[in-house]
Amino acid sequence: MKTLEEVFETWEAVIGLEIHAELTTLETKMFCGCKLEFGAAPNTHTCPVCLGLPGALPVPNRAAIESIVLAGLATNCDIEKHSMFYRKNYMYPDMAKNFQTTQGPIAFCMRGHLDLDVDGRGAAERYRLDALAPGERDGNITRTEDGYVAHVGITRIHMEEDAGKMVHLGGGEGRIAGATHSLVDYNRAGTPLIELVTEPDLRTPEEARLFMQKLRQIYLALRISDCSMEEGSLRCDGNVSLRRRGTTAFGTKTELKNMNSFKNLHDGLAYEICRQAEVLEEGGVIYQETRHWDPSAKRTIVMRVKETADDYRLFPEPDLAPYDLTDEFIEGVRAKLPELPDQKAARYAADFGLTSYDARHLVERRATADFFDECMALAATEADGGAFAKPLANLIINDVTAWLNAHEGEALVATPLSAARAVALVKLTVADVISSKQAKEVFAAIMDEDADPEAIVEARGMKQVSDTGAIEAVVDEVIAANPDEVARYRDGNDKLIGFFVGQCMKAMRGQGNPKIINELLAKKLR
Amino acid sequence: MATPFGSMSIGELQAGLAAKEFSAAEVARGTFERIEAADGVVHSFLETTEALALDAAARIDGAIAEGRLAEMGPLAGVPVGYKDNLNLTDTHTTCASNMLRDYVSPYTATCVERTLRAGALPIGKLNMDEFAFGGSTETSAFGPTRNPWDTERVPGGSSGGSAAAVAAGLVPVSLGSDTGGSIRQPGSFCGLVAVKPTYGVVSRYGVVAFGSSLDQVGPFARSVEDAALVLNAIAGRDALDCTSQPSDVDFTANLAEGVRGMKIGVVPAFLEAAGLAPEVRAKTQEAALALEKMGAELVEVELPHAQAAMSAYYVLGPCEAFSNLARFDSVRYGYCDPGHKDLGSQYEASRARGFGPEARRRIMLGSYLLSAGVYDTYYYPAQQVRTLITRDFAVAYESVDCILAPVAPRTAFKLGEIGDPTEMYLGDMFTISINIAGNGGMSVPVGLGADTGLPVGVQLIAPPFKDANMLRAAAALETVYGPAPVAPDYADGKVGA
Repeated sequence: MKTLEEVFETWEAVIGLEIHAELTTLETKMFCGCKLEFGAAPNTHTCPVCLGLPGALPVPNRAAIESIVLAGLATNCDIEKHSMFYRKNYMYPDMAKNFQTTQGPIAFCMRGHLDLDVDGRGAAERYRLDALAPGERDGNITRTEDGYVAHVGITRIHMEEDAGKMVHLGGGEGRIAGATHSLVDYNRAGTPLIELVTEPDLRTPEEARLFMQKLRQIYLALRISDCSMEEGSLRCDGNVSLRRRGTTAFGTKTELKNMNSFKNLHDGLAYEICRQAEVLEEGGVIYQETRHWDPSAKRTIVMRVKETADDYRLFPEPDLAPYDLTDEFIEGVRAKLPELPDQKAARYAADFGLTSYDARHLVERRATADFFDECMALAATEADGGAFAKPLANLIINDVTAWLNAHEGEALVATPLSAARAVALVKLTVADVISSKQAKEVFAAIMDEDADPEAIVEARGMKQVSDTGAIEAVVDEVIAANPDEVARYRDGNDKLIGFFVGQCMKAMRGQGNPKIINELLAKKLR
Repeated sequence: MATPFGSMSIGELQAGLAAKEFSAAEVARGTFERIEAADGVVHSFLETTEALALDAAARIDGAIAEGRLAEMGPLAGVPVGYKDNLNLTDTHTTCASNMLRDYVSPYTATCVERTLRAGALPIGKLNMDEFAFGGSTETSAFGPTRNPWDTERVPGGSSGGSAAAVAAGLVPVSLGSDTGGSIRQPGSFCGLVAVKPTYGVVSRYGVVAFGSSLDQVGPFARSVEDAALVLNAIAGRDALDCTSQPSDVDFTANLAEGVRGMKIGVVPAFLEAAGLAPEVRAKTQEAALALEKMGAELVEVELPHAQAAMSAYYVLGPCEAFSNLARFDSVRYGYCDPGHKDLGSQYEASRARGFGPEARRRIMLGSYLLSAGVYDTYYYPAQQVRTLITRDFAVAYESVDCILAPVAPRTAFKLGEIGDPTEMYLGDMFTISINIAGNGGMSVPVGLGADTGLPVGVQLIAPPFKDANMLRAAAALETVYGPAPVAPDYADGKVGA
């Protein structure tokens, strides 16, 4: 099979995503008062409504409607004031009523978009980029200085309810094949779900991954879902088809499921694109079918073939009156919109002079962005608080992120690193009390010992020596002790400066101010 | 022989309790004894709920002993029967179907709960057409109910058990449900006051759904006042049914006002309808003249799209029913055909055997009408017809306070007499448009037909949420025709011919 890069020489991929998010931060289910709780004993959060008992009726959860309107506003959607719930009729034991309550042709949120910053470094992305000059547009992409912006349309976001969860016993690995018993847990039945459908505007697996990441950041900022791809509260299906470069007609698409991580989303789509290319190049045809990404086997397998479109016999749900959202309601929700990741990044760049790279990394996780905001609020009380931004960003992007990655599952707020300690640590470097190298050691000590940075510096005698006289003496000693190196340096071997700095640092047990050492060495070696 | 409790009015029962002529426990026990004695042929009850009734009676008697009867609610000590599509905790809710033969409710419908809170004694569950599909109670999986006025005849349907139990003097009042005429038509066949309130007046929570946009629960009684008292108890907004509406009306308030000054609409096309029996036409005209004589002004109104109501109903009803009945799939509860190795065949066999022919017919019809390509031809136009009919009524109500019409085109027919489903459907020709438009409608007894000697009802139809208008006119007619009698063979404690 060809690589993705090779495939893209001939083919263009057309990708659309369907992204389901459970509104896990709500207290109760979509149409009844049952509690939303992941991991409770099976069938303990159920009632006549979510069990579909005869005579039970749905009552919509107003907070869920607020959540979807928040999602719509944050993704540039038009909020439809008048919309209806529909019944999608199909029989399966995880759906107690044997119809799913969802929305019809008009959803609460319609016609939105997200703009993706793509660095364009990947091979697949280059095909989009090579033909364009900065500022030039082609279709939905605009070339920028360091990549391109992809404008991805959002068809709609609609509200629906989740099904229960099936567990199959007796077969292999919980699969239905060979199972002797199937159990259903209706705790999840009726969980409020919002489904976002994109336009077929994505062209590469990387763009799809970026879209999903960006959407996840937005939903987390809105606090409408915990967006756990592992636990299934954020799920993504992809529709993929290929067409020859330069043509516009759509090819036959396949629907890809089970992409429960960003990596799986990327790899599943990449595999499917390559598979389709191989089939097409061998003169075969693509069937409209649902395929399952198997990450361990690294391939997609057919789940079922769709010979005809499913007939869900959709019709307006008579138990729920048409929904009329008032301007007051929509404006009330708009007033609750938090600062979104893009806005936050722009603010960091504008107010604190951070690079767009730093700013984007800070907002990638809500926890780190919140932490940065908290730190900057504290730093604002310092005389030169503005100078704290860049070192704080570095601390968070490098040390804190690395620590969090190494300590999976730990929340930043629960670590020994309070905002006050972070600011104090940065203050020590800004004031040249410790070197940036020492700062890393202090950071590690804060996390290990749960102590204040000042105390750690004190206890370890780590204070940086910035006394020019003391440093000058050391510099003179080092120059005197290494005549050969001095000669080579003066002959043009600039790289030896590192050797001299290292020797000085060693002599000062790491406590010399590197800036001053560098300055003095440069002067004296000239 | 003493008057059976089930033949008394609510007022008589409560006066007797207050005067300690009898206790609530005696009312309960007496009622079950009477059902035991008199319901054999009629077969109105599918289940009786002795323990629940005696519990409720004990609470009433305790209150009476403490002089607190008045605090126990407007239905204190009143025996009430419930159509078997109304959930009542720990009782069967079978919908007269093999599908739910063994189904026991884990919760109580709001309308039932409200009668209990008003002090009612829950007597049991009443026979019906399977899942309310029918107009004769012959489609019950547990055998038909017979009309106490002539046990060779049907009581009407689908709430036939609810009607027959009141007509036979087993209980003073009962609850039924009406999707296309299922309260009013048996009310007419059994000579009772039978009210389908405006859609939204009574909560549908706990009412096993047939056509969700059409279903409404209402009372059967032998007097307008008793019906109004039950309505007072069950009406009003319910947080569990978002189509229910607040009700601050006392439905008994204007019963004595008479009809002077009221404008009552008559629809000439209804009286000229083919298939309307002359004795029913005569009774309807007679009732109109009686109202006019009491001071009402008769105004001719047109409902130009009413003839399309039947077609719209037999699209919308089955579509909603198809979806509502999808949950009966043998998996969690209900009839499960044994021995199947795959889900598809278990579904098919369980539903084929669990549902009777009329239920299967409506499910298949709805499944077809909602399918791709067909939906636009039927469902969508039917909704447009619905809008037109609703507008017709709105226009008519600009000039009248309520409308007088026939209920059923004829009096009760014999069991087995109507075999053709479409002929059975035509029996709803005067009642369906009221459900389509969501209005209130009721059947009021106006004596016996000249040709058959069987009860005839006329229908009073009220603008949405003006149900008090039709009750007021009905009370005026009652001054002419008297309250509904218990069927002669069951009057004065008799147990049938």
